[in-house]
Formats: sequence, C-alpha cells, structure tokens
Amino acid sequence: MKPSAAEILREYGPFPGTDQVAGVTFDGRHVWFASGDKLIALDPESGETLRTIDVAAHAGTAFDGRHLFQIAEDRIQKIDPTNGTVLGTIPAPGGGTDSGLAWAEGTLWVGQYRARKIHQIDPETGAILRTIESKRYVTGVSWVDDQLWHATWEGEEADLRRVDPQTGDVLDIIEMPPGMGVSGLESDGADRFFCGGGNSGKIRAVRRPKKARSSGDDK
Amino acid sequence: MDSVITAAGRALAAGDPLGALKRVALRDDAPALALRGLAMAQLGDLVRARALLRGAHRAFQPKEAVARARCVVAEAEIALVSRELSWPVEALDAAQATLQAHGDPMNAAHARNLVLRRLLLIGRLDEAELRLAEIDPAKLTPALQAAHELVVAGLSLRRLRTGTARAALTRAHAAARAADIPALTSEVESASLILNEVAARWISRGSVRALRLDDVEALMASDTLVVDACRNGVRKAGTEVSLATRPVLFTLARMLAEAWPGDVSRELLVDRAFRARHADESHRARLRVEIGRLRAALHDVAELRATKRGFAMATRDGCAMVVLAPPVEEPHAALLALLADGESWSSSALAIALGTSPRTVQRALEQLGAAGKAQSFGRGRACRWIMPIVPGFPTTLLLPGPLPSD
Repeated sequence: MKPSAAEILREYGPFPGTDQVAGVTFDGRHVWFASGDKLIALDPESGETLRTIDVAAHAGTAFDGRHLFQIAEDRIQKIDPTNGTVLGTIPAPGGGTDSGLAWAEGTLWVGQYRARKIHQIDPETGAILRTIESKRYVTGVSWVDDQLWHATWEGEEADLRRVDPQTGDVLDIIEMPPGMGVSGLESDGADRFFCGGGNSGKIRAVRRPKKARSSGDDK
Repeated sequence: MDSVITAAGRALAAGDPLGALKRVALRDDAPALALRGLAMAQLGDLVRARALLRGAHRAFQPKEAVARARCVVAEAEIALVSRELSWPVEALDAAQATLQAHGDPMNAAHARNLVLRRLLLIGRLDEAELRLAEIDPAKLTPALQAAHELVVAGLSLRRLRTGTARAALTRAHAAARAADIPALTSEVESASLILNEVAARWISRGSVRALRLDDVEALMASDTLVVDACRNGVRKAGTEVSLATRPVLFTLARMLAEAWPGDVSRELLVDRAFRARHADESHRARLRVEIGRLRAALHDVAELRATKRGFAMATRDGCAMVVLAPPVEEPHAALLALLADGESWSSSALAIALGTSPRTVQRALEQLGAAGKAQSFGRGRACRWIMPIVPGFPTTLLLPGPLPSD
C-alpha cells in the first residue's frame, strides 16, 4: 500500500471569534465543528457559519442522524441540535485523554490521542466494547461506506488512514502537506473529507480517493 | 490535543490557573506536565513550575519539536521572572526560530518578547530597539500586544521619551483589558505609576524640587546645563559628556554646579573629591590637575575659572545650571534600583544587569545587607537578594544603560 498525497479542495476559516477547531461532523447539509466553548454549523457550499450552540466542546464531534455527540473534558454529551439541549452524558473511555469521535451502526468510536487507540463504546453507558491499536497518535475518527478512517498528528506530521476495524491493519494512507495538522475528521458520505485544523482555526476539505471509494469491502 | 488538555489550556489562557490545574492535576503525560508547569508558574511556584516544564520537555518525543520549543520558552520566562539572567538565551532564540518555522507565530512572538525584556533589564537598549522594530504588534493577540506595549513603554521610559511611553501604556491598558487577564491589567497599571512618581530631584541655587519623569525630559530638552547625578554625566542641549568612569571629575562638577553662580573653596573641593580632611600642597596641586582635566572635558559646554578662594563654573552662553540628583541618594543606588522591582535577585544576575563584576556586587550587597537595605535568603548558589520593603521611587533613571539620547 503506497501513501498518496492529500488533495486540498477548499479551506474554510479561520472564523471570527474562534481560535481553534477540534472535532468536526456532518449532518447531511452542514459541517458542525467544536471550538472550545461552542459548536458551530458551517455551510460547506457558501463557507458561511449559520448557527452556534453554546456548549463545552473540547474534542471530537459526531452525528447519529438525530443527535450531536460532543466530547467535553472527560465526558461525552448527547445534544439535541434543534435547541442545543444536552440530553445526557456518558464518561469518555480515555477519561479526558480522548480526541476523535464517530458514530456507526448504533455505537460510538472514540480516538484516544496519545494512547494511539480507538475504542468502540456503548452510547448509552460508555462501556468499552472493543479497542483497536494504531501506530500513531489518533485525532479524528470517521466511518464512511463501511470504512473506518482516522486522522493522525504526531511529530509535526499528519495523515488520514483507513484501518481494518477488526485488526487495526492500515489499508490506505493519505498524507497531509508538511505542518498541516488534522484535529478532527468526518466525510460527507461521498468524495470529501472535512478536516479540523486545530489551532490554525481552519477546516479543510480533502478529496477522498476513488480507489478507496471503490474498495469499500476489501480486507 | 486531547479534550482535557484543550479544556485546561483554555482555562489557563483565560487567566484561571486553578481551573487548569484542577483538570490535569493527576496526569503525568507530557502535555499535562507542561500545562501543570504553566499553571504553577502563574500561581508563583516557580521552582515547581520549572521542574514540571523540564519533565514535560523530556517526556515529549524528539520529533515533537513545537511542544518542546514551547517548554523552552516557558522555562525562559520563569528564568527571567526569577532574575536568572545567565539562563542560556541561545536556547530561547532556537525555540523562537522553531516556533516561527512550524507555524506558531504567537508563541514565537512571546519568545521574542522575552528576549526583549531581558535586553531591557540588562540595559542593552540599542539592541532591544533594533529587535523591537522587527515586530508588527497588529498581528499579535491582545495579551501579546499588551506585553509588547509594556516593552515599548519600558524602552521609552529608559530613553526619557515619556510621551511615547504614555501612549504605549495606554495601548497596553486597552490590550490587557481586551485580553481580560486581571494579572496583566494590574501589571500595566503598576507600570503606569512610574509616570506619576518622583523620578529625580532638581537642585539649583540652594533649592531642591522633586521632578517627575516628564519634567526630567523637559529639562533635558531645555537650554539648561544639567549635571546629571543619576548617570554621572554633564548634558546640555544634545551635547553630553559622560563622566561615569571619572568619579573625581564628576564630584567636582557637581559641587561647582550646586554652588553656581558662586564658587567653592579649595578646602571643600579637596575634602569631598579626595576625601582629605586637610588640604596640603600636594592636594592643591592635584586639585589643579583635576580641574584642568574637567575644564578640558567640559570645554564645549562650560568654563571653569579660578577665584580667590577656589573655583567656579559658568555656562558658555549664560544659561542656567542645575544638578539632577536621584530621588534618594544612597551608596549603591543603581543596585537598589534593580532590587526595587520587588523580585528576588542572585548576585550574579545583578552583576550581569549592572555590567560589573560579581565580587563588586557581592561587596555592595553585604554593605546594603548590614545597613538593612537589602535582605538575603538561601545559601550558596541559591542565595537571593530582595529589598525588605519595596520603596516608592522609580528606577528608570538609575538603571544601567546609555544616556537617553545615545
């Protein structure tokens, strides 16, 4: 497997009043991103920010089709995006060392940053169902077309990698340009990834390679 | 960054070190050690802070260059605040370059600001001014802007440009409030006090007046011949003669200026300048020699003439003559001026700041200590000196450095 270079399609931000982008997710129309003490909705076509929910938002963000999930300190909050109400919280598996967050088929997947792990957890209780190991620090986590992707950021280098959800084996690597960190990851379900840019305050759209799109079921 | 580090970092940036500490108190991974170090530094436990930051530096991987560079910058700041001026500045320069190269302009700016503050403290004003010009304050965050303006103000005060200093302090105040960090705002406010305090005494024709810094600036810009006992020099309208390395000549010049337009007797001159109680023939001969030297040194601004009982000094154009004296006259006034910042100093840091030998400083400190004007604590290399009570006089004119117009 040969790494490919990331193709940056578009850059959004930095946005007024925010200084960092942690987690990102996509609700089918808008990109939601975590920025410290708020969640912000971005229209990826116009580049405009549309809505803000005032809620602690320190790391990964996910969407299950109805709710937003947001890591804050050592817990994961379940949020109603229509009114911003926090419906419930569960403990985060890393006890606050958590980074990325993704939703897939009834469970949450949580990246544990410097522990280089991804945990699959029960979204009702927070119980760990399974843990896979990565070779590098894990930032964003995303599921698209039955593929598990995660972002890495270690020693000033970042990439997006597809891993086998059973074994953790690396199946694909997309390398980011030097010095361009990725703090959060989500796909639009089609040919784009949205990447949080950490302290740069930016969000970048990166092309999802065709090869990866057509080989959804290989192992 | 992970979620708790992000939360703790935000608390720290908002000036809430206890909030930051609460979140990472039980963690020993590299980012947590670094944050704990920064929080302890904000809380004033500099020894613990430094140990934590060194631990963080070790715990980060060699490839985590930016994180390591930030640890170096934080440690340098602690060294500066602890007045450990012998701390290796090369490491700070290297860290600043790393941060700049890796897209962290804010921490790079913070590193540059530390370099500037150190240069200001040790009186290397030209170098500080040169490096200040490389910075565009418009690109900084409010907190960094405030720190930057404090350096501008410090430099302007030392250069006796009080208008510039006042404007910089006003900008610093606005930036500190925008940053919403109470400690920073109070630092700016205490720096602003200097402008309203007595900076020097004006002595002429037997009368004494207290001057503020802008009065001093106005005096320096006027026609008056100023015998400057704060910097041991003679200045008039842009011309200046430094007598800093010639204490006998300066003593004579000051005595003559205080007596102006009258004269001073040979006996008194010999008594004060040579510390000789009874003037004999050899003292009179030496006085003639020293007066000759002073006459040559001040040739452009003043003339010295012999009178029946001694000597008198007059300006060449008939304008006035004053002595500018420190607000409090003490032996080792420059040393006390440094200690007046309220920090604890090592004798070696004082020697670096004053540009003299550690032994000279040590002797002076022992005298000040015996007189109750300085206090030491700790032993050996850990020994530090402080002022027992911080006096209310500003230090600007007494601090080391070239004359304002240099």
